[in-house]
Amino acid sequence: MPSCSSFGEEPGVFPYSPDIDPEPSVEPDYNPDYPGEPYHPDIGRPKEPRRVQGRPKGGVESIKELGTAQVPEVKSNIHCLTVVGQIEGHLVLPPQNKTTKYEHIIPQLVAIEQAPEIEGVLIILNTVGGDVEAGLAIAEMITSLSKPTVSVVLGGGHSIGVPIAVASRYSFIAETASMTIHPIRLNGLVIGVPQTYEYLDKMQDRVVNFVTSHSRITSDQFRELMFRTGELARDIGTVLIGKDAVEKGLIDEVGGIGRAVSKLKQMVEEEKRHNEVGPQ
Amino acid sequence: MILWTPMQLELVLEGLEDMGAPCYSRVSHRGVPMLVEKTADGRVRVARLLSTNPAHYLNNDYVPGSFLQFEQMPL
Repeated sequence: MPSCSSFGEEPGVFPYSPDIDPEPSVEPDYNPDYPGEPYHPDIGRPKEPRRVQGRPKGGVESIKELGTAQVPEVKSNIHCLTVVGQIEGHLVLPPQNKTTKYEHIIPQLVAIEQAPEIEGVLIILNTVGGDVEAGLAIAEMITSLSKPTVSVVLGGGHSIGVPIAVASRYSFIAETASMTIHPIRLNGLVIGVPQTYEYLDKMQDRVVNFVTSHSRITSDQFRELMFRTGELARDIGTVLIGKDAVEKGLIDEVGGIGRAVSKLKQMVEEEKRHNEVGPQ
Repeated sequence: MILWTPMQLELVLEGLEDMGAPCYSRVSHRGVPMLVEKTADGRVRVARLLSTNPAHYLNNDYVPGSFLQFEQMPL
């Protein structure tokens, strides 16, 4: 039997057990071998050897004794990007909106692309849409990442959330999540000339082209969903819920976070294998 | 700007007129340049990072909307 067999008997327990308490808060007993020690009133007291286990301080103990909260850091090779609320564009929205700011997300994606310890990205969507430019910018960044990406639509991924959801390599939608597909509209002053319509159509095409080139849905199908009447109370268009989005070919699979993370892990492993084989 | 959302625009843009121009200051916090705004209770809130180091954008302390912890207040 090896001499270091006590290692690993109980995880987290350090095998060294000194005679005195190693805590700095406890006064060490007077040791006559070291006469340089300051005078201690209990000099003649017989020593009571105490055996303590050298156990590392846990979270609760460090809060009680040191006043610090040491949250154990779990090293993860995937990064989670959440896109929530309104996607804020070039105009700062009033403060009652929860917003996702593209000027922060875009450099984050650059850092994710460049950091060697990040091997995959999980994109969580619960958004009501927002600025077309900002949304398309985020979608283009996600789709051009060289690392595996998986998106999950929880709650909702409406309007400009649709291109972001399909931008990843594999997409999931929760069973109850919904995606509103409806035409874009112009805000502010609209000049009533035919060019306005052409401009709007061009802007519409940007979104349709992105969605159709990154998912299984065809342009005609997507436009049909977009201009369908009788589904939305205040607008034309369609709401796709859970498996409807999968049946239309917009999203790859119905599933939640568990499926998404295991899919991402599988993609990361495949990517690693591919990179190992690649240079040969 | 094309705001494309199923939410009612009146709700999204409510209070836009009363917002006024935000008053940002440019500061450097532990070597990270950023735009910050001072809130009414005197705390300093990150508005936007100006750093060109992408790694700074992964730091959770500098997410827009978070409050800075200053040893000495620079403002």
